[in-house]
Order: sequence, then structure tokens, then C-alpha cells
Amino acid sequence: MKKKQFGIYIHIPFCMSKCSYCSFISKCASKEEIHKYFNALNLQIELESKKFKNKIVTSIYFGGGTPSFVNHEHIVECLNTIKKHYKLDKYVEITIECNPCSTTTEKLIAYKNAGINRISFGVQSLNNNCLKIIGRKHNHAQAIKAVKLAQKCDFANISCDLLIGIPNQTSQMLLNDINLLVKLGVNHISAYMLMLEENTKLYEQVVINKTLGVADDDLCIDMYNKAYSILQSLGFNRYEISNFAKSGFECKHNINYWEMGEYVGFGLAAHSFYNNTRISGFNTFEDYYDYINCLGKQDSQVNEHITCLLKENIENLTTKQLIEETLMLGLRQQKGVSIKALNNLGYNILQLKQTLLNNLIENNVIEIKNNYIRIKENMFGACNQIILNLLP
Amino acid sequence: MSNRQKNIRNFCIVAHIDHGKSTLADRLIEKTGTVSARDMSEQLLDSMELEKERGITIKLTPTRMFYTKDGVEYTLNLIDTPGHVDFTYEVSRSLAACEGAILIVDASQGVEAQTLANAYLAIDNNLEILPVINKIDLPSANTEKAKSEIEDVIGIPADNAPCISAKDGINIEQVLEQVIDSIPCPNGNENAPLKALIFDSYYDNFKGAVCFVRIVDGSCKIGDKILMMQTGKSYDVTEVGVFTPNMKSTDILQAGDVGYICASIKNLLDTKVGDTITDANNPTQEKLAGYKEVQPVVFSGIFLVDGSKYGDLKDALEKLKLNDASLTFAPEVSKALGFGFRCGFLGLLHMDIITERLEREFNLDIITTAPSVSYNVYKTNGDMLEVSNPSILPPVAEIARIEEPMVKLSVFTPPEYVGAIMELCQDKRGEYKDLQYLDKQRVRLEYKIPLGEIIYDFFDSLKSRTRGYASLDYEVSGFEPSDLVKLDILLNGEPCDALSLITHREKAYSRGRGIAEKLKKVIPRQLFEVPIQACIGGKIIARETISALRKDVLAKCYGGDISRKRKLLEKQKEGKKRMRRIGSIELPSEAFMSILKTNDDEE
Repeated sequence: MKKKQFGIYIHIPFCMSKCSYCSFISKCASKEEIHKYFNALNLQIELESKKFKNKIVTSIYFGGGTPSFVNHEHIVECLNTIKKHYKLDKYVEITIECNPCSTTTEKLIAYKNAGINRISFGVQSLNNNCLKIIGRKHNHAQAIKAVKLAQKCDFANISCDLLIGIPNQTSQMLLNDINLLVKLGVNHISAYMLMLEENTKLYEQVVINKTLGVADDDLCIDMYNKAYSILQSLGFNRYEISNFAKSGFECKHNINYWEMGEYVGFGLAAHSFYNNTRISGFNTFEDYYDYINCLGKQDSQVNEHITCLLKENIENLTTKQLIEETLMLGLRQQKGVSIKALNNLGYNILQLKQTLLNNLIENNVIEIKNNYIRIKENMFGACNQIILNLLP
Repeated sequence: MSNRQKNIRNFCIVAHIDHGKSTLADRLIEKTGTVSARDMSEQLLDSMELEKERGITIKLTPTRMFYTKDGVEYTLNLIDTPGHVDFTYEVSRSLAACEGAILIVDASQGVEAQTLANAYLAIDNNLEILPVINKIDLPSANTEKAKSEIEDVIGIPADNAPCISAKDGINIEQVLEQVIDSIPCPNGNENAPLKALIFDSYYDNFKGAVCFVRIVDGSCKIGDKILMMQTGKSYDVTEVGVFTPNMKSTDILQAGDVGYICASIKNLLDTKVGDTITDANNPTQEKLAGYKEVQPVVFSGIFLVDGSKYGDLKDALEKLKLNDASLTFAPEVSKALGFGFRCGFLGLLHMDIITERLEREFNLDIITTAPSVSYNVYKTNGDMLEVSNPSILPPVAEIARIEEPMVKLSVFTPPEYVGAIMELCQDKRGEYKDLQYLDKQRVRLEYKIPLGEIIYDFFDSLKSRTRGYASLDYEVSGFEPSDLVKLDILLNGEPCDALSLITHREKAYSRGRGIAEKLKKVIPRQLFEVPIQACIGGKIIARETISALRKDVLAKCYGGDISRKRKLLEKQKEGKKRMRRIGSIELPSEAFMSILKTNDDEE
């Protein structure tokens, strides 16, 4: 029997500067502001621990924003708070997202000593032109240097994020990046297709002003498929649509999301999922601080205020929603979605979608193996349409 | 005859579409103080949302007005009528309830095809015609020319025709005065047994079926026992009243009056338009002539995106049928689309209106197949089949010949477009009949042309080739043998019956190609490559391929935000609701209609 997973996500909503494609909640902040945020964050971690007394934490993830942008002492303190109030599994995976230009030896050593054992670098590309277009502050050399530094500090588990479909990016550029990173010894790569999000600078440039062009769908998929092929030849397994790893280096924290496992998020805009309930974090500092101020006060008026604050953020999933999520998250994984899991939720997909399933199997879109429905190797690009077809 | 009837005038307004019927009706209502300025809304009598939106009149709406001339108060009953060629039938219905008709002619356009058609209808009904020249406010107005066209083309005097601007309210009194002076008053026998013409009816949830009537003889009041002469059913009158234009109950309706009768009639089909209502205890000897049954000319299959709502569609069609006798429907089963109805319409506009009402008023997501006419198919064994659904056309070997409906088409146009129109008519397999110069600026062209060609894109093509200056009218004129074939469409190798159509052999190739190209544009990429083939009797004549969909993915799960992703998916799923799965293919519901218009993209 597999161990029950429980993840903790910590959101660090600060960056040195905003990247042109990012629609995330993050900002550039003063030391005082950052300090204030971590005080609130640590308080939240402590006060909410009561709810998770019987959980064993199997993964912790510092995401952002740019966690490496803030003083490493904040990170260490935060981790210590977690260790103090939560039970950690012996093999807990602790990841921190780092930006190549804010990564220093000092920080890395501090992370290592605090127990962080996985680094995820926001490389995005090793092509300086591409990096400039999307507003990243680092360059090719800094990225390479950061990876090497992490290795020097004894991090064995290193991941790099890459983007597919940056304006002017060619397949060759992408393949070069992959080759180089793998040669360096990176054992996990997340390759995401660039999404144009509204209210970003890139969206404005591409969609509104049309001063930049992005790769069309066909080129994007070509690049993705080529990336997949080369990564496969280099010994990487695509365990999820955008995630590739050498055996044993899959990200436990992310797998837990896709397996509908439970997790709690702390900080601004951090999401949680437990007891079949999804809770989205507050989107403004104001609401977040307001909420933290109320936490722990035993006052009915305050409790009411909390309820009111949280009202719109809490979503108790209906069975239908649970089925939708199970399908959606399952089909994005290489192993597919468990027919048994769907059956347990009351969705007899084999019977209800019989004709359609046969159709998709005949047309080489999906296959059924070991009681799992999974998308055929070269059809992952059309993943959404396949999911949509199989929804109840 | 009583003084009462002497002071009544019953009339309607007829005109070519857009010549200002509803606007004049508004002004008359305003001038007579029938509706206070506060309650006045643009195109008052067009109560349906659709009518206001499109600026067209679909239903006829009566209203009663009062006007005092020389110290005498007159009751004026106006019945508004639709103007589009599809609804000629409704016009003739209102004409039968009147003694006179105002014929509006646009001062800048002159006599148009529908002006003439409507004038003839009024003449056929023995109505006094009162010509009115409208839109004199327009810079391009030419009242003298309009008058002489009325005299030359229609052949009625127009010397005294009021020249008005309904829009600006100019000379509206002249119209009212002339209505009183030149339209005869009703001449019924008030003491004879009740004889009333049902010229329209509609279903009211509280009152039951409401009959719009013209009392010809006798009278009718609450408590009277009435008899429907055609259906033989009798009822007790629960309410009588007049149109102000809202329904207002009164004590009695008498000879010469226009009003309504309610009698707790459960089924609207029992209030047949054209039927005669009489006194059940003292029936009249002769019933009124009534109307000739209207025949639908355009047919289309109506199906649902969500097949499980078949019952709702049936209910909706029945409800629409209540107020629209011209709509016909019969169950139809399509291999591709499941259970639905083959519906018959008066024309494309009528079809458009019905389908839009099904969607809007009944909230149904419907799929409409391309319209077809009804062919007479003579089989080798001597049988004759009426085929309005291409998928039921018998195998070629069993067909002796097919005859298609023809129409007599008349087009009014400035002379410079004659060439373009002739070209269009030829292209549509028309047979030239006549060309007549009405005056220097206007020509009347006559063609015999297959109805099946008119229902495709004839109106649009005519409009674009004549920059909107031509107008047309047509009437069905019988059947003629023709070399027709069935064109089938195969999707991923599977024939899709709902996409089949009947077309002339010579046009089959270009239509097949056009449809395949069009379908390639409207069908979204699927998870695998989909060939589209057009074929005649098993022979492929055109092929297009929709390449497989390759990219449709969501980005990463930011910080475990699964909700956002699920919501995006749900949104996408909502968008797919208009898709219909046929075999292994998903088709947008518009695909079935899109095969209609295959030419416009090239033009």
C-alpha cells in the first residue's frame, strides 16, 4: 500500500521584476514589506497546524514569485516553523523555486542546511534573445552558472523549467537548451507551452498591439513533440504532460496534485485541497493580512469575519466535480486515469462512453492498459479535447 | 343600415416592405389619441421582440381608433399586415376583414414588386384602394413620379393621393379624412343571425383561444352560444371586446365591428382562421368564403442538440402552430441527428423566424438542416411520392422521373441592372418570359424559375447584384420534370443523411465542391484526420480533408490551483454544447445550414 501523501505549499509573492508573460500575483517589495509578510506567513503556518495534527508531510514546495529573491533567512525560518508544528516524513521532498540571477552560494548552502533537497530553476530558455523577449532578467551564462552552483552545493535533484513557443524561438533552440541542461546533469525538466494570459505585457504585445508573433499551434506541437523525443532518448520519462524526469527524480509534490492528494497552501494566493474541499488563497495583501489578524482570536465576531472572508474562496467539490478533476488530472499523466477511481466516484466510464472509447481507440487517440485509460504518446498535445470528450 | 355602421371604417395598410407601413400605423394611432404619447413606443403594433428588432411585421395586429370629422365621431379599425413575400397569406387574411386598404408607396422608390402584388390582392378582395405617397421628407422623393407609377403600373387614380411623411408626421390628417371619405362603411345586417369571420386567433393562457373577428351580420355578447361552422363545435361566449390596441372587453360586438371573442376554447385548432362563427341557436344559412388553405413551400428538418428534449421540441412546435396555421410539421428520424421534425414553411424568412423563436422563446438548442422544396417523384411502378426530405429519395433505379416546383418570378428593377439579373436568373435555371418597361426608370422582368433555386441564395445575390434596388415577388406555378440527383456527403467515410440534398445534375459538381470546402471551414479539427467527400450515387465528386487537431492543452497547475483549470475546462465544455456527435465526428450545429450558402465566400 502506497503511503498517503500530504503536501505543503508556501507562496512567496515577490519578484525582482515582472516577467512579460506572468499573470501571477507577485510584486517587487521593500525589506520591511517582505518581513511583514513572513511574520504573517509563519503565524498562519503555526495557527492552522491544529487542523493537520494527524498528517504526515511528504512534500514541501516554496513557489512564487521568486522564493530565491527574498533573504534566505526568511525561508529557513519558515521551514523551521513548519518543522516545529508539523510531522515530517523521513523522506520529505522539499523544493524551492529559484531564479538563476538571484541564486547565490550563500543562499544555496542555507537551503541545504535547512533540509531543502530539490531546486527548481526558472530557466525558461538558454537563448538570450528569447529571455529578453519574455522579460527574464538572467542570461544564458547565469543560468548555467546557477545550475553548476547548485550541484556544487550538493543538490542532486535539480529541475529546470523551459518554455515552448516563445516568440522567435525555433525547435533547434529548444533542443539545444535541453541537450545542454541534460549534459550538465539536470535530471528533471518541466517544459510548458507558453500561454498568453490577459493583463500581461506579452498579451498586450502579441494579442492587442501585434508587435510580436508567437509560434502557431502546429509549430508549438512540433516543438513539444521534438522535445519529448529527445528527452526520451536521453533517458527521461514523461510522467505528466509537461514534466519529464529520470527515474526516481519525479516531483512528489506535483504528483500529489495530480493524484488528487491532499495539500495545504500558506501565504497569499496559495491553494489548498483537503476533505474534498478546494480553498483558494487571498488575492490581495490586504485581505490576507486581515485574515491572519483574525486567526487565533477566539471571538465570535472575528470568526464571522473569517467566514465572510473565506466564503468565496471555499469550494466543496461535488461528485461531478471530483470526477471531472480525476479525469482531467489523470489523463495528463503518462499512466492515465484509473478506471477504478472513476468507478468509485460512480462514473462507469467503460459502459457510459463505450462507443466513444472504442472510437478513440480505433483512431489511435487513447488506449486502455492495466485498467487505466491513457492518451497515446503522440496525442498529448490535444489532451484537452480528449478530456472534454470523456467528461460525464 | 344603421347610423352606427355609417360611422365605422375598417381598413388595412398594404405596401412593399420598408415603405413605412408600421410607421404610418404609429402616426395614425398617435393622431387619433388612441395611445397617449407617454405609452407610445416605436412600431407599436409590432409587439414581438423579433418584429421590433428586424423592423418587420409578422403577425397582424388590429387596433381601434376614434376620429372626429365634421362633428361626427368615426370608429376606425386598422389591421396592420406583414409586408414580406412569405406572408402574403396573412395579408389576404386581413384584407377579407376590411372594406378598404391604404396602399403606401415610397416617394423615392416608387412602385415595387410587393406594391403591385398587394394592390392586386386588395383588388381581388373588392377593396377600395387609397393610395398614399410616403417619405416625402426624403431628398430623393419624387411624388409626381410615384403617382404616375401608381396610375400606369397598377392602374388606379392617384391624383388625390395624400403626400405624407409618416416619419415626420406630415399630412397624416389627410389620410384620416380620406379613409372616412373614400372607404365604404360596412354594410351588414344587424338583425340577421350572427355571422363573423375569424381572421386571426391566438392562445392566451388565461382566456384560452382568442378569436380575432370581423362581425359581418348580427351581434355577439357574453353568454351567447356560438357555433364554429367548419369544425361544428359550439361554445359559450365568456368575453367580447375590442383592440385599443390592447384587448378591452365590451358589452357587445355588432355588425361592422372588428374585435375579439373568447369562449373558453381549449384548443386553438378549433378556432380555424377563415372559419365563420354563428349563433348556435339561430345559425346563418351561408358561411363566409373563408381562406384558401396555405401550403408550405420550404421544408427543413429541425433537430435538437440535446436529443433527450424531443418532447420539448414537440410542445414548442405545437405552441407555435397555435398562432401560425401555416407552419406544418411531421416527425422525422435522421440517422445522424436522431428524432426531430420535418417542418414546412412559407419561405425562408418564415423558417428563420420560427427557428429563432424556438431558440429564444422556448430555449431550445436546435439544429436545422438545409431547406428543401417538395419534389414530385414518379416511380417506375407508377406511384408518386412527395419528397421534401432528400434522405428519403428512392433509389435511382426506382425513379421514372422527378418534377420540381416552379415559380413565376417578377423582378422590378432600374434598367441598368437588367443584364445582371438576367445573368443571375439564367444561372438559376430560369426561363425568360417577359420584359416590360414600366417607365424610364423601371423595368419589370418575368421569369419561370425553379423554386428550389430561389430558396438557396437568390435573395442575397439579387440584392448584391442590384445594390438593393431590385424587388421581387413570386408565386408557385406548378411542377415540371427536371434532371435532378441526390448529392450525399460522407464524413470520415460515413454518409451523413442530414447533409444530403437534391440538386440539378449540371450543378451537382460545383455544389459538391462548394459544400466540401464550406464544411472544411466550419467543422473544427478533430482528434484525427477527417475526409469530407461529396458523392452522387456512390461516385465521389469532391474531397477535402480536415487535418487532425494537434494543440489543445492547459498550462501547468500553478501552486495547485486546480479549480481554475477545472473551470476553464467547464467553460470549454459549455462551448462544445452546440456540437453534435455524428459517428466519430463532432459537428457544430451550424454545419447543416452552412451547406446552403456555398457561393458567398468566393464572391
